[in-house]
Amino acid sequence: MVTVQDFDCTYENKWCPGCGNFGILSSMKEAFAALDLPPEKLLLISGIGQAAKTPHFLRCNLLHSLHGRALPIATGAKMANHDLTIVVNSGDGDCYGEGGNHFMNAIRRNVDLTLLVHNNKVYGLTKGQASPTSDPGTVTKAQPHGVIAESFNPLAVALSLGAGFVARGFSGDGEQLTRLIQAGIRHKGFALIDIAQPCVSFNRVNTHAWYKKRVYDLETENHQTDDLQKALALSFQWGDRIPTGIFFRKETPTFTERLGIIQDGPIISRTHDPQKLQDLLSAR
Amino acid sequence: MAVDITIKIAGEAGQGIQTVGDFLSLVCHKAGLYLMAINDFESRIRGGYSFFQIRVSDRPVFAPCPKVNLLVALNQKSCDAYEHELTGDGLIMIDIPDGNSGNRIALPMKALAEKAGGKISANTVAAGACLGLMGAPIGILEEILKDQFGEKSEDVLAMNLSAAKLGFEHVGDIRFSGKFEWKPETPKGILMDGSKAIALGALAGDCRVTAFYPMSPATGIMTYLASLTDDFPLVVEQAEDEIAAVNMVIGASFAGVRAMTATSGGGFCLMTEGIGLAAITETPIVVVNAQRPGPATGLPTRTAQGDLMFVINAAQDEFPRFVLAPGTPAEAFEITARAFHLAEKYQVPVIILADQTLCDSICISEKSLKAPQTIERFITDDSRMESPSEYNRYAVNPSGISPRALPCNGKALVLASGNEHEEDGHISEAISDRILMVDKRKAKLPAMLSEMGSPEIDHEKSEILLVGWGSGKGPIQEAAGLLRKEGLSVGSVHMTDLWPFPADAVTRILETCKRFFVVEGNSTAQLGRLIREQTGMAHHGAVLKYDGRPFFPDEIAEGVRKYL
Repeated sequence: MVTVQDFDCTYENKWCPGCGNFGILSSMKEAFAALDLPPEKLLLISGIGQAAKTPHFLRCNLLHSLHGRALPIATGAKMANHDLTIVVNSGDGDCYGEGGNHFMNAIRRNVDLTLLVHNNKVYGLTKGQASPTSDPGTVTKAQPHGVIAESFNPLAVALSLGAGFVARGFSGDGEQLTRLIQAGIRHKGFALIDIAQPCVSFNRVNTHAWYKKRVYDLETENHQTDDLQKALALSFQWGDRIPTGIFFRKETPTFTERLGIIQDGPIISRTHDPQKLQDLLSAR
Repeated sequence: MAVDITIKIAGEAGQGIQTVGDFLSLVCHKAGLYLMAINDFESRIRGGYSFFQIRVSDRPVFAPCPKVNLLVALNQKSCDAYEHELTGDGLIMIDIPDGNSGNRIALPMKALAEKAGGKISANTVAAGACLGLMGAPIGILEEILKDQFGEKSEDVLAMNLSAAKLGFEHVGDIRFSGKFEWKPETPKGILMDGSKAIALGALAGDCRVTAFYPMSPATGIMTYLASLTDDFPLVVEQAEDEIAAVNMVIGASFAGVRAMTATSGGGFCLMTEGIGLAAITETPIVVVNAQRPGPATGLPTRTAQGDLMFVINAAQDEFPRFVLAPGTPAEAFEITARAFHLAEKYQVPVIILADQTLCDSICISEKSLKAPQTIERFITDDSRMESPSEYNRYAVNPSGISPRALPCNGKALVLASGNEHEEDGHISEAISDRILMVDKRKAKLPAMLSEMGSPEIDHEKSEILLVGWGSGKGPIQEAAGLLRKEGLSVGSVHMTDLWPFPADAVTRILETCKRFFVVEGNSTAQLGRLIREQTGMAHHGAVLKYDGRPFFPDEIAEGVRKYL
């Protein structure tokens, strides 16, 4: 039996007090324990940013990598060993900005992993510049006249690219987020959980209270998760009411399932056959 | 009499130059001759100027020759463009209606092809005609056609056999200075280009995952590997960009398999970030940079040796890496296999510096290529640890090489970070950890240096040494031979193991000569600068070529003469 305490680690946490990341971290541990996934069976891969530090704050195998690059790294790890359980921690800047191209293509490949995007609509680690999900008009030190670009809609993009598991969580609803993370890991294929999260240091608008007033759970409204058009329409709902929960779910063959060569088992477990190569070298 | 003839098949991209060239290469190989062929093409799929230039000899050849004995012009403008390269007694074969005249042979390729059964066999007509002029027995071409088309359909085979014969007979009694007596022998070795050699070397090194973004001249390595994915435990993935490609390779290696990417300079620029990540996380990777002229897009389909300083220094800050540069397909095979061994043994990035000439040229390797029977892995696991729960991925020891465990492969947790870190892999900004980790990575250098082979020297104790690297090898060795024939004492030095720089070995060699000249495909003598930096020895001159074309022996010899 894996318990939440199995993930506790002594490494000093480096987030601001009150950060939404703490809720996400708790839900991760709860979800892993509920799935009976011990730390040694878990590989967390992250990019750069406050969210990407998450793997350091629990016991697990981890690769804390480069800004925006967690998804191609995870894709490569899956090619080597598709039995790995991989969870990616990323943020709105890391995943939708620096790693935007990788985000699109990981979805297209349907890599079997769970992507948690800690979306606080602002850059935290570099101190408060606009992120791809910042609302137009948001004023920051770097955007003194307000953000000019439209904000990036990750759920709509993911749905339109054929993502098989698209959900939104809220760092202030740990119970629901735990359920979502479990469902994401159980989902065979690419699972996106965009997590609405306040930034206590740099986002004065989208606070915990602001979200609390607006979020609602799609499950309570009897949303059918196999309805792509409905999911797409809901992905554009933002303002007075903000939907959370699973928008869409559909399993299709994963990236590694479609790779013929690795159907006999992970490529890491195959034996090296020098004779086969020697035949090729000698035949030339 | 020694055989040494050059045939140039020139035309537009898309006209089947490669097909004619392949037939000639296969026939000469099968007849036990030596050959060296270069591919020259523009960055376009149709039209323009392209050529395949094959040099055939009864002695080993590893360099192209600029003087053409037979020009097969598939159109008039190619004839006009290359006629000046003909030797005095050279011939032009061209599809013109009005009969032979002077050095021109009218070969009705299309008409003969149609007679054989279809215009599509025009290239076979041309190949048959070339071999007819050269005095080859047609039987060898027929055997090759049977190998190529025999399984496809009897009609296609019959058409090609007929086309070959028509071309062959059409030139039957034409006198050609390049005609020689063919005495078919067993093949002298294997026919190989650099791209395939690198791909096969990767398999010999037990590479399991490759990811790439298409970029000339590196693409051929990956398309060849992709053709083998049904037969070997290998995944070849076309990434969304070079950044993704190198990171996929890092992910695959972190998870435990050997992995490689291949690109050219522009893609390598995008990969430098990933190379830094591989370095600080001490994840083994192999990156091939098949050089072409730059900067930016430069000359996409041409050759260059302008990235030496770049790859030695690529990515911010300092960290150990290997840089290896093969000069021939046989070296490319061995070096690539070795690259995987070195990357894993030292947990560092290994960069293989190839170039377009090496990748796209064909030659005969007499040395048989051997796949290592066993692969030595440098990976630990719980069973080799006293206490797996206390495993530290970056445990410091005098060698700088920490035992490397794999994630999710036991109780030992593997923590890796692109941030500077503690021994356990957690981020650290402590002064002591920073110094500890920089020193730890650097501590690998002495052992890495001991892996570096000594440069290959040809005609040691010569007064003059020509020093080069990469695909310059064959032309440089031949140029030294040309100068020796003039009574000069000239040898050559070929460097494959470039970084960490084997300064002692280079010094020992260069101390034996009176003067040394570097011969390089760049405009600033990058190897010369490196030698000076690392040994304090300055080159006495440099023969540099940066027009995007391969070196010819005679131009190197001419370049050296200017200094004498």
